[in-house]
Amino acid sequence: MKNILPALLLLASCGAALAADPAHTVIQSGRAFHPAEVSINRGEALTFTNNDEFIHQIFVDGLFDSDERSPGENLTENFTQSGTFEVHCHIHPKMKLIVHVK
Amino acid sequence: MRFRFGASILAGFLLSTPAMADDQSRPMVNFDEGRLLATGGVSAVEGEGGGGLAPWALITGYGTRDGVGVTVHHTYVGLPDYQLLTPGIAVGLFDRLELSYAWQAFDTEATGAALKLGQGFTFHQNIFGAKLKLIGDAVYDQDSWLPQIAIGLQHKENDRGAIIAAVGGKASVGTDYYLAATKLFLAESLLTSVALRATKANQFGILGFGGDRHDIYSAQLETSAAFLFSRKFAVGGEFRTKPNNLGVAREDAAFDIFAAYFLNKDLSLTAAYVDLGNIVLHDHQDGGYLSLQAGL
Amino acid sequence: MKPIFGLLAMAAIAFAMPAFAADTLYADMGGQAVIDRLVDVSVDNYLADDRIKTIFDESNMDRIRAEFKVQFCQVAGGPCVYTGHDMTAAHKGLHLTNADFNAVVEDLQAAMNTCDIPFRVQNRFLARLAPYQHQVVTR
Repeated sequence: MKNILPALLLLASCGAALAADPAHTVIQSGRAFHPAEVSINRGEALTFTNNDEFIHQIFVDGLFDSDERSPGENLTENFTQSGTFEVHCHIHPKMKLIVHVK
Repeated sequence: MRFRFGASILAGFLLSTPAMADDQSRPMVNFDEGRLLATGGVSAVEGEGGGGLAPWALITGYGTRDGVGVTVHHTYVGLPDYQLLTPGIAVGLFDRLELSYAWQAFDTEATGAALKLGQGFTFHQNIFGAKLKLIGDAVYDQDSWLPQIAIGLQHKENDRGAIIAAVGGKASVGTDYYLAATKLFLAESLLTSVALRATKANQFGILGFGGDRHDIYSAQLETSAAFLFSRKFAVGGEFRTKPNNLGVAREDAAFDIFAAYFLNKDLSLTAAYVDLGNIVLHDHQDGGYLSLQAGL
Repeated sequence: MKPIFGLLAMAAIAFAMPAFAADTLYADMGGQAVIDRLVDVSVDNYLADDRIKTIFDESNMDRIRAEFKVQFCQVAGGPCVYTGHDMTAAHKGLHLTNADFNAVVEDLQAAMNTCDIPFRVQNRFLARLAPYQHQVVTR
């Protein structure tokens, strides 16, 4: 095997780019998720950024129930199962994000 | 034709434009009636917001700091030998500034005749008041010893200059200045207020300002205490010292015991027993006080 | 005559002041049963009050009722510890005015009347809530 390092570095940077990229970031603002619907691949992560004036948390029934995050904070959640899921906030019941995991 | 058209355009613009609010639906002049019942006090005898005799640091009406409130009042004081009628109007602006106007008619009844002025000879005063809240909130600052503090002035103009001069008064126009500190001890259901007034007024200004004995400003003390029996009903007392500027008549301190009933934010009624002491020729001028205040 | 008036005033103040005794407000209100009822009645009042009901449109009312019950218990001196959000953080985004705060106070007073809490006890409780205005009102 010739120099595997460049290939590994490329893979790693792809992963990092995926995590930071807008396609895997959901903004919380105005007590709503933006976008309100997102599609990702199994095993990928979503980063929730609290750009709101309120404290938020996120949960999916039966899957995960996060800690709270204050304005300016974020948290990242991995989606390891395929399917369509609804993400909600305990504090603000009208907040809804639909996640399609392939 | 062009003028009328332009005027109606301007009128339409002014009426439809909300101004100066985060919330687009709030009008420029917001009679929000947002303050709690009784927190504007009642209307005092010189037209300002307070008790019956003393000014309080509270701003009249129920406008919050985001709005305005207007109150009108009429007060009757019936004494053995005199009568006082005083209607007035006051506006509270943004829970910060209070402007008031009161008209006083002081009827000397038979004393007027005794003094050769005529039966029912009446002194009139126009009283223009302004009060500015400086610091503190009597209602919210329950975790602090700081009272609500306001400064104010009352500019008084009496129409009987000649008579005032005849009894030794030096002027028929004068201005009082005061500093008031009001504290609501909510846990004790008790309101207390203290005011210091710099004044030259003889009998509230009814006999002019300054006199043959003294013609300088003196500091007077005005205190009130009120116990809240219910959201709508308070009972209390007041004590107000007065200067003794005139040689012709000794002047006493005034005090009252009052009961105030706040029907709602639009109407309150205050009844009191008031003792004004000596008023020219007659001692023991004590009697009934009745005041009605209506608001917007 | 006049000095007596001063004495009367002092007596009135002494009567009104509580002795520096133990904090009995929680018991004087009727304990947790009354506080729980008070929270449910007052929240019903807020949701029926046109002046303020929209403030709660996006809120989890079950959570809010539960938090009020713990918070009121603690404020009244009861055996509870409130671990919810601090009042500034919880209300900042709502941009509340003094009029909003006072409307809540009025609805709470009505609820305390419904729960037969005596007026003087109501005022002792409100006295502890009043300073929250500094944190809750931001507009």
